[in-house]
Amino acid sequence: MDTFNLFLNGTATLFGDPIGILIFFGGVVGGMLFGAIPGVSMLTLAAILLPFTAHLSPEHGIMLFSVIYCTGVYGGAITAILFNIPGAPENAPTAFDGYPMTLDGRAGKAVGAAVMCSAIGGVVSCIIMMYATAPIAGWAISAFGPPEIFALVFFGLAVAASVGAKTFWKGWLSIMAGLMIAVIGLDPVGGIERYNFDMPYLAAGIHFIPTILGFFAVSEIFVQAEKKATGAYKAPKLSVDFPTFKELWIHKIAVVRSIIIGFFCGILPGIGATLAAFMGYNEAARWSKDRLKFGTGKIEGVISSETANNSATGAAMIPLLALGLPGGALTAMMVGVFQMHDMEPGPLVFINSPDLVWVVFSAMFFANVAILLVGFLEAKTIVNLLRIPFQFLAPMILLLATVGAYAVRGLVIDVVVMFVAGVAGYFLRRSGYSVAGIVLGLILGKIGEQTFAQAMQMLHFEFSGFLSRPIAFGLLAAGFVTIGGSVYGAFFKKSETPSETSPSA
Amino acid sequence: MSKLKTGHYVEAAFWLTLVVFFFAYSFEFNKEIEIYKYGATLWPRTILVFIALAAIGQFFDQRKNGDRASSNTMAAAHVNPEANPEHSGLAWYTSTFILLALPFVYMNLPEKIIGWMSIAEEGEAKVKFICAAVLFVIYLLLAWRNHVGAILALPIFFAAVLVDLGFYATAPVFILGIMILMGERRISRMAMIMPFIYGLILLFFVALLYVGLPTGNLKPFYNFGNWIVTLLQ
Repeated sequence: MDTFNLFLNGTATLFGDPIGILIFFGGVVGGMLFGAIPGVSMLTLAAILLPFTAHLSPEHGIMLFSVIYCTGVYGGAITAILFNIPGAPENAPTAFDGYPMTLDGRAGKAVGAAVMCSAIGGVVSCIIMMYATAPIAGWAISAFGPPEIFALVFFGLAVAASVGAKTFWKGWLSIMAGLMIAVIGLDPVGGIERYNFDMPYLAAGIHFIPTILGFFAVSEIFVQAEKKATGAYKAPKLSVDFPTFKELWIHKIAVVRSIIIGFFCGILPGIGATLAAFMGYNEAARWSKDRLKFGTGKIEGVISSETANNSATGAAMIPLLALGLPGGALTAMMVGVFQMHDMEPGPLVFINSPDLVWVVFSAMFFANVAILLVGFLEAKTIVNLLRIPFQFLAPMILLLATVGAYAVRGLVIDVVVMFVAGVAGYFLRRSGYSVAGIVLGLILGKIGEQTFAQAMQMLHFEFSGFLSRPIAFGLLAAGFVTIGGSVYGAFFKKSETPSETSPSA
Repeated sequence: MSKLKTGHYVEAAFWLTLVVFFFAYSFEFNKEIEIYKYGATLWPRTILVFIALAAIGQFFDQRKNGDRASSNTMAAAHVNPEANPEHSGLAWYTSTFILLALPFVYMNLPEKIIGWMSIAEEGEAKVKFICAAVLFVIYLLLAWRNHVGAILALPIFFAAVLVDLGFYATAPVFILGIMILMGERRISRMAMIMPFIYGLILLFFVALLYVGLPTGNLKPFYNFGNWIVTLLQ
């Protein structure tokens, strides 16, 4: 069956099932709202929902997360534009020009540009994803053994460490902290208990759901709570006034360039939408005739950043579904959804669960279309919801997280672990560490150690065996070059502060 | 010239202490695996070596560049959680540490007291109540001057008492506590919003999804929790 027919089948399955439709629209609205409300993000929503996906079918669970991913990346642009608070790191460059536009009284234009460009970037990326994922998965089945998967994990972690946090060192330490958390529990080869400190709870390892809830949902509340308690929290200003088609058409080159950049950043594990947005913005500034005006309220800045980050969403699904490797925090949570249903993401999903793949692809496509429709029709309503005072939102989210953590296994200790992870996440974030890096390390740590052990057994414990496998060798070499480049940059290049690199952050 | 601050020393010391502790503990499970000659320790020890290298590298980078150490392309995405001067001094950290320790004291102290004093089963509840009350008073005294530390500790306190006092009786207090700590002072608003949040959570999860939340094991909290569950289900 060709790709278009598979897409139609996926669409029929998605919209032929009332529960599927409900979950789809719930994901669209939820992603936008949580992306848009200052102080929480799509990751907060995803973390809260993660335990409850055990009650959904795998199709519905993964579909819900993919829809939240698409609409949440857009939703974060609203807070970036209106309050200079990016809903997620991938919306940070949107604030560079979006917020000055708000100060100029052109917030509506910026929000409108974000709506249109997010939808365009997302839809194009989805179409490429539909055509590219299955061939890549087919190739991966024969070309990717344990050495290649280990090498890809290493490369992904090296890249995520190099670009994911405030500094290379903090990125690296964040990833390593996540890897160490993953070590707690049973060793994957001999089943030997590690770091259980004679506590029965730790014997099976720290469950990833309370950890994710703590690092994302709870720590985010704590960060905002500090601002609220110190009066640094700003109340929203509201206005919606969309740009004309002509105004956007002038920037068509920036849109195409950002789609290409976003897609290639999204496809690489460990990079995802955040670097896509930064690179999209930087390239737009570099190629613009008015490059000096970037950061003062140029609509092109919003366009390039928002096109690139949504373009990365479709691409990020390729390594997840074709190779089983998550590229960022939300795709790492999707691995959790797969695991809760005793499934492993990877090339075999295409053979064992083709329905799941095409329902997810269709849902992502329509979620991006929904950004356009809901963005235009409901933007004012969504923006009005930003008036919910944070002191009322915070206890609600903390209680939802409590119920979520407890519902997984019925253990109060999971709730304690979640809040402790939240406090740890708060202090780490204050110091510039990346909680997304920790979670990526936590999820990839188990895959990494298992594939390393399998690879070494396969290669008869000879490290030189990697040299005879070109893909594995290439990925390991790329990983070492990435780390080496960052270490070199740290010691031998003049450092730049964020204020020097970003005009209005 | 060195640009190091106290925080940089603390950061490096934290990571290196962690490395030493976990490396030393790895000897506890340093056992042979027949089919895997590297055993269960190679992977964690390699990670620990990388942590040590990164911590030392960061320290030297900070020595050279201070807080501007090797900011990367996406540094701007991580600038928001800037430490407020009011919430970063030694006094603040000490007070926050004590606040955070209180829930763990509650999780361990009553059992210890019951053990030391050989208290009978019917007296256990009294010991737990007294411990909870005393610790809560200490919490309030510290929270008075340290709202941020109190916000961090309250959820852990809430989780620590869930086993004994249950979700149903403690959730309303928790909601009010968070609202007050975040600056809400309008009693009418709190009186409306607290039952709304509490009711919404219970209706959705307990009545609709039949999620069994902790009822507690001390009377009258246990009875109250069961009464709510019976009412909703």
